[in-house]
Amino acid sequence: MSSLLIKERTSGDSELEKALNRVDFFRIFHTLALHFAFEHFGILQLGNEKDPGNLAGKLVLHDLPSGLAEEYDKRHRFTDSAVFKALHQTTIPSLWRAADQTPNQGNLLTQLGFDLLACVPVHGVNGARYAVVYLGDAEDLTTAALHELTFETISAFDHFYRRALISKAGMGLTPREREILRWISHGKTASEIALIVSVSEHTINSHTATILKKLDVVNRTQMVAKAIREQIIQ
Amino acid sequence: MTETAHILLVDDDPAEKLIIGNVLRKVQSVAIELAYCQTIEEALDYVQSGAPVSMILMDNRLQPQADFRETVPALRQKGYIGPVGVISSSLADPYFQAFEDYGADFRIDKAELDPTAVEFILREYGAR
Repeated sequence: MSSLLIKERTSGDSELEKALNRVDFFRIFHTLALHFAFEHFGILQLGNEKDPGNLAGKLVLHDLPSGLAEEYDKRHRFTDSAVFKALHQTTIPSLWRAADQTPNQGNLLTQLGFDLLACVPVHGVNGARYAVVYLGDAEDLTTAALHELTFETISAFDHFYRRALISKAGMGLTPREREILRWISHGKTASEIALIVSVSEHTINSHTATILKKLDVVNRTQMVAKAIREQIIQ
Repeated sequence: MTETAHILLVDDDPAEKLIIGNVLRKVQSVAIELAYCQTIEEALDYVQSGAPVSMILMDNRLQPQADFRETVPALRQKGYIGPVGVISSSLADPYFQAFEDYGADFRIDKAELDPTAVEFILREYGAR
């Protein structure tokens, strides 16, 4: 156990503590996949086993080739796959080999065109369930490597969840968010605000989505109305 | 392959244009047109020229002294509101933690800029 704690502190000092946005976490998970001889990663949001949902819709961050998940969804049902079913039966990390599977198990690996899949179930601090899967064409992964990958994945996901996924409802607005809210209340569009505060339009839209979440409102009109009621803006 | 992304690379080393150009050519899902400027002045003129720019990849340090803390705000002052990514061979310097405050959207190590990363970034920022 002590070695794990030391390891966590070491990794925390480097990349994880510094990660700020989705691109940073993409870089971390992508590097992790390559380090363990996989080619790709995908972070899946798990709902109820009986909920419908396709693979593309469950992926919250991934580096799969563009269009692969969508093509898969046209031909197969992810919820029929053995990997998906196993995620609702156990939380033990698992390794799947294309050669081991039979069609009636839902041959996810063959359907996606890979030979090896590692699946690490993870969860957020509030219990919300996710799974991180790694895909590649290596023949196998040693048990020791799977243990290490599991620990690194849980650590990386914990930071990703807290930094990028968790609902920020109830938390206060940052000064930059208050500034953007003020410009929205003056009737400015996202592109106009981007020009005014010298950031990209994408950043403005991202801040606006966060403000919507924090204020628990559904559109910009309700956002401004609530902000005035709550005396966040005059 | 119907969509085209117009990427502007700003880097004082012309060799990087070849290296990054090779990486971009391997991206399959999007056609990429790469434009190249060697100085921040050229880049500022380029974005003002009205040429399409879906995304800017900005080398952190441009000779003689500018780093992204000067160059990215200069781009924003010229009215560029598309995504800007800072590329560097070392992201370890503490000032990189404040990249969002200077108007940059993301940072990436030169060694990490492979076709998979480029595809992800184009998807993430809808830069097409």
